[in-house]
Amino acid sequence: MDNLQDILKQQIIDALNLEEIEISDIENDAPLFGEGLGLDSIDALELIVLLERNYGIKIKDPAVGKEIFKSVNVLADYVSKNRTK
Amino acid sequence: MNWVRVRKDSVVINGNMLATESTGQAMLKEVYKKCIGDYPKFFKMDALCRLGFVASELLLQQESPRVVNTEHRAVILFNRSSSLCDDRNYQETIQDSDNFFPSPAVFVYTLPNIITGEISIRNKYYGETLFAVLKQFDAREIHDIVCEAFLDSMTLDVITGWVDCESDDDFEACMLLVARDENNFTPEFINEI
Repeated sequence: MDNLQDILKQQIIDALNLEEIEISDIENDAPLFGEGLGLDSIDALELIVLLERNYGIKIKDPAVGKEIFKSVNVLADYVSKNRTK
Repeated sequence: MNWVRVRKDSVVINGNMLATESTGQAMLKEVYKKCIGDYPKFFKMDALCRLGFVASELLLQQESPRVVNTEHRAVILFNRSSSLCDDRNYQETIQDSDNFFPSPAVFVYTLPNIITGEISIRNKYYGETLFAVLKQFDAREIHDIVCEAFLDSMTLDVITGWVDCESDDDFEACMLLVARDENNFTPEFINEI
């Protein structure tokens, strides 16, 4: 793994127990919710915990969460600009 | 009357042993992949829910045709350990004040009746659901509660049984599908399973 996108994909797979999904199955620009991975609202909460635990990013505004989980690319861009660890 | 028994090292369906190569949680995964395999949400479930889900799937595979989308089927399950297994896992996520990250995905399974919900969602059952925590396995009490469920004219059959998980790799489930007019459903039969 040589970029933040792939690191995030692996962390998402691990955090959400997506045992039948591999990094190569997740497109950088594909929506994380609504189709494809079939994530639900609990998964969204788990991703918020992941961002705080791994990157020190606290998501307090639901609108921000909705925006940054649009795709791995959007998420990686947000993490790179806002991470504190 | 179809029945299933799942222990940490064996699976028996209507008296016939299902061949497995692993034990504990690995065995539940093995059975899921070998016999079920079309429900990725399985991997998100806690140990207790995986146990109940696998048992219910194996039980319902004996039914032909498999009944789905009905309000006439109740799900009534029992155990002794409640959701203690997942409760412990959740406690670990909040134990250390310097590493305090409560896990929502673990938290949602800190109630045993999640199993009855998962089975109902999977099969689109809209009948009664109950999960009762007993002091110990009691076939008579299980029998009597299921019989009471049939006092409701809406309930034509019941998925019932014992689904208990003391730890990730120490568990036991026995599950039956009981029809309203089933004469063989007795405390003795439950004990024999």
